[in-house]
Amino acid sequence: MGLFRTIRRLESSPAPLIGLVIVVAFYGWSLVEGILQLAGFLTNAPSLGWILLQSNPFTPFPSNSLLPPSFAHIMGTDDLGRDILVRILYAAPTDALVSTVVVGGGVLVGSLVGIPAGYFGGTTEEVNMRFTDLFLAFPALILAVAIEATFGRQLVFAILALVVVWWPSYARVFRGEALRIKNLRFIDAALLSGLSSRRIMTRHLIPSSLNTVLSYATIDLGNSILVYSILSFLGLGVPAPAPEWGAMTAQGLSYFPLWWWYSLLPGAVITVVVMGAALLGDGLRDILSEGG
Amino acid sequence: MGLLGYVVRRAVYSIVLIFGAVVLVFFLTRVAAPNTAALWAGPRAPPSVVQAVVKEYHLDQPVYVQLFYYLEEIFTFNFGISPFFKQPVANLVSLYFPRTLELSFFAMVLTIMFGIFTGAYGAAHKDRKGDYVARGIYLVTWSMPPFLVALLLQFLFAYQWNLLPSSLLADPSLSPPSVVTGFPLIDSLVAGNYTFFTSALTHLVLPALTLATISFGLITRITRSSMLESLRSEFVRTAIMKGVGTRRAVYIHALKNSLLPVITIIALTFAYVIAGAVVVEEIFGYEGMGYLITQSVYNSDYPTLIGSTIVIVLSVVVINFVADVLYAVVDPRIRLGE
Repeated sequence: MGLFRTIRRLESSPAPLIGLVIVVAFYGWSLVEGILQLAGFLTNAPSLGWILLQSNPFTPFPSNSLLPPSFAHIMGTDDLGRDILVRILYAAPTDALVSTVVVGGGVLVGSLVGIPAGYFGGTTEEVNMRFTDLFLAFPALILAVAIEATFGRQLVFAILALVVVWWPSYARVFRGEALRIKNLRFIDAALLSGLSSRRIMTRHLIPSSLNTVLSYATIDLGNSILVYSILSFLGLGVPAPAPEWGAMTAQGLSYFPLWWWYSLLPGAVITVVVMGAALLGDGLRDILSEGG
Repeated sequence: MGLLGYVVRRAVYSIVLIFGAVVLVFFLTRVAAPNTAALWAGPRAPPSVVQAVVKEYHLDQPVYVQLFYYLEEIFTFNFGISPFFKQPVANLVSLYFPRTLELSFFAMVLTIMFGIFTGAYGAAHKDRKGDYVARGIYLVTWSMPPFLVALLLQFLFAYQWNLLPSSLLADPSLSPPSVVTGFPLIDSLVAGNYTFFTSALTHLVLPALTLATISFGLITRITRSSMLESLRSEFVRTAIMKGVGTRRAVYIHALKNSLLPVITIIALTFAYVIAGAVVVEEIFGYEGMGYLITQSVYNSDYPTLIGSTIVIVLSVVVINFVADVLYAVVDPRIRLGE
């Protein structure tokens, strides 16, 4: 089904549409802000990173500290007087980057393990899927924490850790899809016309699985942000002065409950983004499983 | 194949899985890890201590020799010494783990109750207001980070309404009962210390409620879809036509037959609850495994972190095994098929 028709179908029901708006707003903003931050970093002019924001997310304003939400500061200010909304917006590209790389990496590794398992069956399937089970025995967050504690507290390792805990579920999905698709007539036709196993897998099995994988992946964009926010809550995200959604909640803990907005509002923003991805993913599944 | 054969097969599989997971942890923490000795010795350890760690873990030997000693350590529950707590990790785990099991038990009971109720209610009111409300509730709670749920519940129940204590295991002014089983609630009952029992129980409510809130969506989804299937089936229509009443047909006849798939995700829910406990215990100052893990992360206490990880994986595999067996007992098709 074409992208355009999918979007038209989304418009007919309110829940997936709300999800679509949230997801587009989040990734759209992150893309623009992310490019500015990158440009600022490369040209040694970091102020480019907050050119679209009201104020510098790093400079403390002690006279403004811990102001409650108001028109001037919609989400209030933190202990150093910095606007919380500005810091949340500044942190968005990190979460967008983490979620896309983690889900993309998970889909890639999952397909490499799952597709051959489903297609060849036998020993390949046994080995690949038992290897997958091994990773699934670990609660995702716990394994991610252990991996990051081993290699160091850097964004790269946080992403790596999340890919390691994310691929096994995709290996299962791809295996299931490969099992289903390999018995369809067009695979027989491909075999008869002399295509190699490798070409059948890359040209037919993977593309045909993507409909199913797409809705999972959309929901997981949110889930990976959720797990990443827990890592950053534990201090395993980006290093200190840079804002980060989970870390902001953690910093606000010592000001809770009197200055509640400091820790609650970043958490609320996480919830909205995760929910948007879940709504969109559910909607996509309903539309795509109807088969156009 | 009988039930016994099935149980034996699952048991062997679980043991292989545990062995594999332990070896995986070995490769992560001893082979792939940069500066292995410094990592295990703890932050700012003097060179003499690092040297001692190299000797103790046989890090100067070939990998297969290391693996042999490592397996010997793990299967005798020797997880090394914590550089932060200055005591064997095994002691810490045996103190903290029962508390988390106790918390997870209550959290699981609440999770299953919430999940089955919202799932059944949603299915019974499919595509009507009740369904949308049930789905809305689980969608929001499912999307919330555990720390947000913990803070909200703490804010309302402890700070606003003063109904429940905001943190800790029990009232610190009470002296805890002597350790028999390690489970605070059971120990206080054994000792006949009902004041401590009540205090520990009230301190358990908020963390358990938090964990249930973030986890019950899993059960809601499964119950709802399996309930929808039951509602379409002949036996429910027969029950209604026989005059048992719609309400009874839905919530007794249909629901009873929809609960089977719920057993299959109990283990998954347990893994989810345990992972959530890491953050939730930290916020409520509930000193269990989650608290131990956050403390070891904050203090770069690597042996404690890895020991805790292994113990949690063991418990997840064991719960998985129990759930599989339970499922086969309830549904004979499972042990016959596959």
